[in-house]
Amino acid sequence: LCINNNMASNGLSYDGCNFFRQRLVLSTLSGKHVKIKNIRSKDDNPGLRDFEASFVRLLDKVTNGSRIEINQTGTMLFYQPGLLYGGSVEHDCNLQRSIGYYLEALLMLAPFMKTPLKATLRGVTNDPTDPTVDLLKSTALPLMKRFGIDGEGFDLKVVKRGMAPGGGGEVVFTCPVCRTMRPVQLTDPGKIKRIRGVAYSVRVSPQMGNRIVESARGVLNQFLPDIYIYTDHMKGANSGKSPGFGLTLVAETLDGCFLSAEMSSTPQGQGDSVLPEDLGRNCAKLLLQEVYRGGCVDSSNQSLALLLMTLGQQDVSKVLLGPLSPYTIEFLRHIRDFFQVMFKIKVQKPSEDERKGGEKVLMTCVGVGYSNINKTVK
Amino acid sequence: MTGDATPKRLQFSLLSAWPRPSTGQFCSDLLRSLAAVWVAYWVHCVFRAQDIKTRKHHIPLVDRMPLEPPPVVIVVVGPPKVGKSTLIRCLIKNFTRQKLGDICGPVTIVSGKKRRLTFVECNNDINTMIDLAKVADLVLMLIDASFGFEMETFEFLNICQVHGFPRVMGVLTHLDSFKNNKTLRKTKKNLKHRFWTEVYQGAKLFYLSGMLYGEYQTQEVKNLGRFISVMKFRPLVWQTSHPYVLVDRLEDLTNPEKVRMDPRCDRTVSLYGYLRGAHLKNKSQLHIPGVGDFQVSDVNFLPDPCPLPDAQKKRALNEKERLLYAPMAGVGGLVYDKDAVYIDLPASHSRQQQVSFRPVTSGARLTRLLWFCVFLREPGLQEEHIWDPNSQRERRKVVFPGEEENVSESSSDEHTESETMAEGAPPSKIQKLEEVKSCGQSVAELPAFADSNDELEKSEEEDEGEDESEEENEVGRAEDSGHCSEEEEEESADEEVNTDGESEEDEEQGGSLVCFFMKICLVYAISDIIFSSVQPPYQTISETFCRTEEYIFCGGSLCIWNTTDFLRVCFLGLKGTSRLGLRGFHALHQLVSAFWFAFPGALRWKEDLQQKAAEAFLRQQEAAPNLSKVVYGSGRVGFTVDSDEEDEELGGLFRVSRPHKSKRLQTNSVDCSRFPPDSSLNWNLEEILDSIRDCFVTGKWEEGQDAATLLKQDDELYGDFEDMETGEVHKSQTAGQQEEEEVQKNKRLEKKRRLKERFNAEYDDGDATYFDDLKEEMQKQAELNRAEFEEMDDETRVQYEGFRPGMYVRVEILSLPCEFVANFDPHYPIILGGLGSSEGNIGYLQLRLKKHRWYDRILKTRDPLIFSLGWRRFQTIPLYHIEDHNGRHRLLKYTPQHMHCGASIWGPITPQGSGFLALQSVAGTKAHFRIAATGVVLDLDKSVTIVKKLKLIGYPYKIFKNTSFIKGMFNTVLEVAKFEGASIRTVSGIRGQIKKALSTPPGSYRATFEDRLLMSDIVFLRSWYPVTIPQLYNPVTSLLRSVGQKDNWSGMRTVGQLKHDLGIRNKPNTDSLYKPIARAKRRFNPLHIPKELQKALPFKSKPKFQQPKGKMPRDLRRPCVIREPQEKKVAALLHALGTVHHYKKKKTTTVQHAKHKEFLQQKEKQEEAKLKRQKEAKKKLYRLMGQMDKKKLKSSLKGAPKDD
Repeated sequence: LCINNNMASNGLSYDGCNFFRQRLVLSTLSGKHVKIKNIRSKDDNPGLRDFEASFVRLLDKVTNGSRIEINQTGTMLFYQPGLLYGGSVEHDCNLQRSIGYYLEALLMLAPFMKTPLKATLRGVTNDPTDPTVDLLKSTALPLMKRFGIDGEGFDLKVVKRGMAPGGGGEVVFTCPVCRTMRPVQLTDPGKIKRIRGVAYSVRVSPQMGNRIVESARGVLNQFLPDIYIYTDHMKGANSGKSPGFGLTLVAETLDGCFLSAEMSSTPQGQGDSVLPEDLGRNCAKLLLQEVYRGGCVDSSNQSLALLLMTLGQQDVSKVLLGPLSPYTIEFLRHIRDFFQVMFKIKVQKPSEDERKGGEKVLMTCVGVGYSNINKTVK
Repeated sequence: MTGDATPKRLQFSLLSAWPRPSTGQFCSDLLRSLAAVWVAYWVHCVFRAQDIKTRKHHIPLVDRMPLEPPPVVIVVVGPPKVGKSTLIRCLIKNFTRQKLGDICGPVTIVSGKKRRLTFVECNNDINTMIDLAKVADLVLMLIDASFGFEMETFEFLNICQVHGFPRVMGVLTHLDSFKNNKTLRKTKKNLKHRFWTEVYQGAKLFYLSGMLYGEYQTQEVKNLGRFISVMKFRPLVWQTSHPYVLVDRLEDLTNPEKVRMDPRCDRTVSLYGYLRGAHLKNKSQLHIPGVGDFQVSDVNFLPDPCPLPDAQKKRALNEKERLLYAPMAGVGGLVYDKDAVYIDLPASHSRQQQVSFRPVTSGARLTRLLWFCVFLREPGLQEEHIWDPNSQRERRKVVFPGEEENVSESSSDEHTESETMAEGAPPSKIQKLEEVKSCGQSVAELPAFADSNDELEKSEEEDEGEDESEEENEVGRAEDSGHCSEEEEEESADEEVNTDGESEEDEEQGGSLVCFFMKICLVYAISDIIFSSVQPPYQTISETFCRTEEYIFCGGSLCIWNTTDFLRVCFLGLKGTSRLGLRGFHALHQLVSAFWFAFPGALRWKEDLQQKAAEAFLRQQEAAPNLSKVVYGSGRVGFTVDSDEEDEELGGLFRVSRPHKSKRLQTNSVDCSRFPPDSSLNWNLEEILDSIRDCFVTGKWEEGQDAATLLKQDDELYGDFEDMETGEVHKSQTAGQQEEEEVQKNKRLEKKRRLKERFNAEYDDGDATYFDDLKEEMQKQAELNRAEFEEMDDETRVQYEGFRPGMYVRVEILSLPCEFVANFDPHYPIILGGLGSSEGNIGYLQLRLKKHRWYDRILKTRDPLIFSLGWRRFQTIPLYHIEDHNGRHRLLKYTPQHMHCGASIWGPITPQGSGFLALQSVAGTKAHFRIAATGVVLDLDKSVTIVKKLKLIGYPYKIFKNTSFIKGMFNTVLEVAKFEGASIRTVSGIRGQIKKALSTPPGSYRATFEDRLLMSDIVFLRSWYPVTIPQLYNPVTSLLRSVGQKDNWSGMRTVGQLKHDLGIRNKPNTDSLYKPIARAKRRFNPLHIPKELQKALPFKSKPKFQQPKGKMPRDLRRPCVIREPQEKKVAALLHALGTVHHYKKKKTTTVQHAKHKEFLQQKEKQEEAKLKRQKEAKKKLYRLMGQMDKKKLKSSLKGAPKDD
């Protein structure tokens, strides 16, 4: 493929559709074109799925001048990134995946747009596979603020809640543009001072929320008295198309780190239904698990933190993480591919008498000195 | 603050000086007015002080300068013949006590304990000027004072202004040409002030008063050097955010076989230089100005060729530490490469080489240039480009065992042995060698080979290493002596025995010649020829073979290993040329080629090495389970781990070693960031729950943070006190035990530190500003940056942070155009400019541009222009536009004269805020100023929004009241439909709107207007048409041009130039042509005034109908009188008499006049006299009268009292 005859930029090529978002997002940020081959080529139903196509469409909406080529069977995708444009974007997300799937990528891209992003995403707000919008709102946003992405209108608002599989939810994500990332030193998470949460329920009895809260508190009260779980029961037009309920728990530390866990009821008509009490209890245990893993960034936002570190100034950034998730590990490899940045990974083993959960990983890197090239100067 | 102290004092002094006023009213008034004045003054002072204070502030930046900074780049610029080379030579001599001939390429020297300098001479080519301005830290601007400023000086200053202003120091030369001291002073002053306006007020201008024996005066040079070595530099945005290398050495690594097959094939080149600016990452993109964009295929750091002296407490450098490094100028000293060590042995300053190396034995050999090069690893290292100016210096390149390899003791023993042997070599052999060389002027060249299909076992590797080093020693020895001794030949012959079947085969083909492949150490012996200019080798070699009876084929030590065995054969001498000859050589050559092509993909000698290194690295770290190994795999950045998947693209490079099957599965699994919980932990169990107790505020706190401990510490801090009254010493603790002492000491220190911190916090709190906080934050970050990777070795460190500035790096680039190597000229700098993550892409750029005020022409839209933007120089087609008040970008045909305008180009993505300059041509030198425009990048985009005005014209063909039918504007109904509702206007200003299309004639429509149109009206529709920018991006490849032609690059021509060159003239519009103006005479109708009006008019204004007087009719004319002669006589007489009478009359009147005049004068005199008399009389009279009056007054005064 002759992209530009005498420019240095060279592309990357990958196999398979796993880590699809990572590749496209990093490609967009680094400006390197990417070619993904053999997308489910051996599958009975080969090629890109609808949700991936929807993701590509979203990417096309927020960028200007992207070139996307997909072959006839959909097993090969070529993506030549354009420049991030931003602005007002509306997108109907595919119902196969929740909005979280799209939002995770958008969080990574939003600070580097030309104009502040105002994205209205419609679809499934909460489902068990992806991080829900509530979780992202309560963890990813404060994390991004640590990197200097802040200002007027940095917000994620859940307008309508739509559970899987019917969807019908709506989320408005607004983000100001940012020129450079601030290097961070998040080496000490501090102690957890409070736990907050949202127990949501739509198209079910409003009592569900209370039942979830009760059971979750039962587990968490062993550790901390300062627990407050909001019940969020949406009605009418704001309640989407499917019934369901769930819980998002966030533990805030003294140093402003957020650890979170969440659990949603199984989508209607898929698998066994769960009791709200069980859900609350299990979710609380998930939070404990998260606390056990520890670190300054919770497991679902590891990659976001690492990306923002990579895109920082040419300074040393440090962040303490829990054990790296497989997704993060792959993300680190991708960062190396796209930005030639390697992280110094130091495992911190807990000492004998310490009761602070499992091993932590101290990630250190030098930023690439990325600056938002899309922003207009006047 | 000084600002508020002064006015107070002033007020007091004023009050004390004033006399104490008595009345309260006055005092209060005065005080009030004084207070007002004082407040105003105080406010002024405060503001001013603050102003001055804040003006000193710069945005604090994190200091990313490494501990050992790269040499300072000093660019010496100036017009030709101004003394640039002389100055550099003098400065080098000043710093290093060494003399340098031709200044080719960068010259790096150690100038002090903390500073190294790299001098670069900038020639007069604008390309060079642009490139060097981007990398300069300090510019020495040479100005010929006898001539004054030249255009180059100003051009360079303007280039600097655009690309970030480095320090500029002017140097005036040719001052000795001034004979008159006054003119000298005047010139100096003039030049200084002009220089100041260009740079800044008070910019340093140096005067070099004159030459002495072709050099500047030592004292002045010394002063200049002192200035340079204490100078501080400002960080420039572009330089600090991009890595760059000013290349001081380059080598062509292309496989010579490939070059032989296709001389124009792409080259693999390694470039060397100090890394500057930011961190350089392996596999990153870079731009070489004048060549193009490339990807780094490999980067290594090498030992510093010009290191700073070790930190010792002494004031000056000793002679040994005054290093000089200029490979392009032929001064290298010791050059360590990845694979070899190059030694330069100049005749004049071989002190240091002698220390490290065997002294030169034979004086005769010094006269000849001997150049050896041993390539240990690289199969394609033959072609070598080190600039060797035609110096008389002897240069030698000798090989040491490679840096990375651990030379075993035995081999080092052998090394010394061989050295001694070589020293003892009989001189007759040397002569022989010289004979060979003199007769043939030949070069022994043989393609080198490397071959490794499989990974080697560790033990094998070590063996290899040993063998290699042995071999190297041998070769080194051979080179040292310049030929091979008999013993060595024997040795090699012995080794030959070890060859397997392959070698026997070879022997069949090539006579006694045995070749083996895998690794060849090749020795070149060059007499006077620079390597690159060598002809295809076999001819010369065969020539040599034929001519000499006994020849020495020096240095070809060939060895081989493969998967199963490792063979090594050295042959250093061959006898019996007659057997070999040309045919033999061809056979050898064929064999070589066959091997070459048999293992095309397997020539990965270096990779293998890296792999080995990586394995070693991993083995080190294997002891502890390593997470980074899990993440990044067993390989290191930048090279393949599994070489069998070589055909895959870069994504395949970073493969993780995991079972194939699982990978297949994973490639298409669900893309989800959730981290599934670990099921092994049962959160119902108490001990599991306990394991995270301390994560909560309710848990146990750490030593330093526990509330109880904090309290205790405070107690400690303030607990110790001595009761002065009782003399009792209260101690918070009783320290007795020895082991506790250490703890106590630490605690004390800690306490002290905290106290100090607290004090500092309190103390600084007073005027701690945002600025100070920010500065402190930056400082902390800088410290962290330095400290983070400090303890690591460089190998590991470069992986994490990239190659840091200050390192001497070797950058390997694949597929450089062959012209780059073939047309290399060291006078033109090669710069490797690193590119940011998106800067390797291309897109539309929106710029703010202003035509340079010194450029004498305006620029035309769509005329190609050469831009210098970022690292790049390229030609592109700009479109100029201006932003209207509603944000529309309207296309301009030409740039405005004295105003900024927008410009949009298709070009490389460069961060906003980067400055650029534009030139119309870079070819040659022209008299006028060459920089056409300057500006800054505003925006980057993948689309453009420029529009140009388009007026569509139509004519009414049917007019109703306010409605008209218009035709001629569009062609079809569809076109009209698109413009329904659009506003239109007539030339006379009547506004209207398009309503609906009409069926006939096609393209006509109904429109309504605010007034009735006339048939003569023209209707137009004003519209905006988007313009596309031509996608031309043409990098200026000036470095690829042949030597001497480098400043002649010319790209796309403008339409105007093309027309001029091809002699094409546009056929002009006939309406635009100038024709002689024929003005018809204006005829006016006669003015007709009605009769009634005529009557009413006054006579003066009434038309006069009187005819002008015609000729007198004949009958009215009087007849002329013709006199009789008698009458004529009478008339003449009468006339004469009359004349006489007249004369007499005239005479008498004149006389009378004179008399009368005289009379009048006399009368006047008399009158005057009379008047005088009368005046006298009057005077007398008045005096008398006055006296009388006086008397009267007196008498009356006197009389009055009498009367009383």
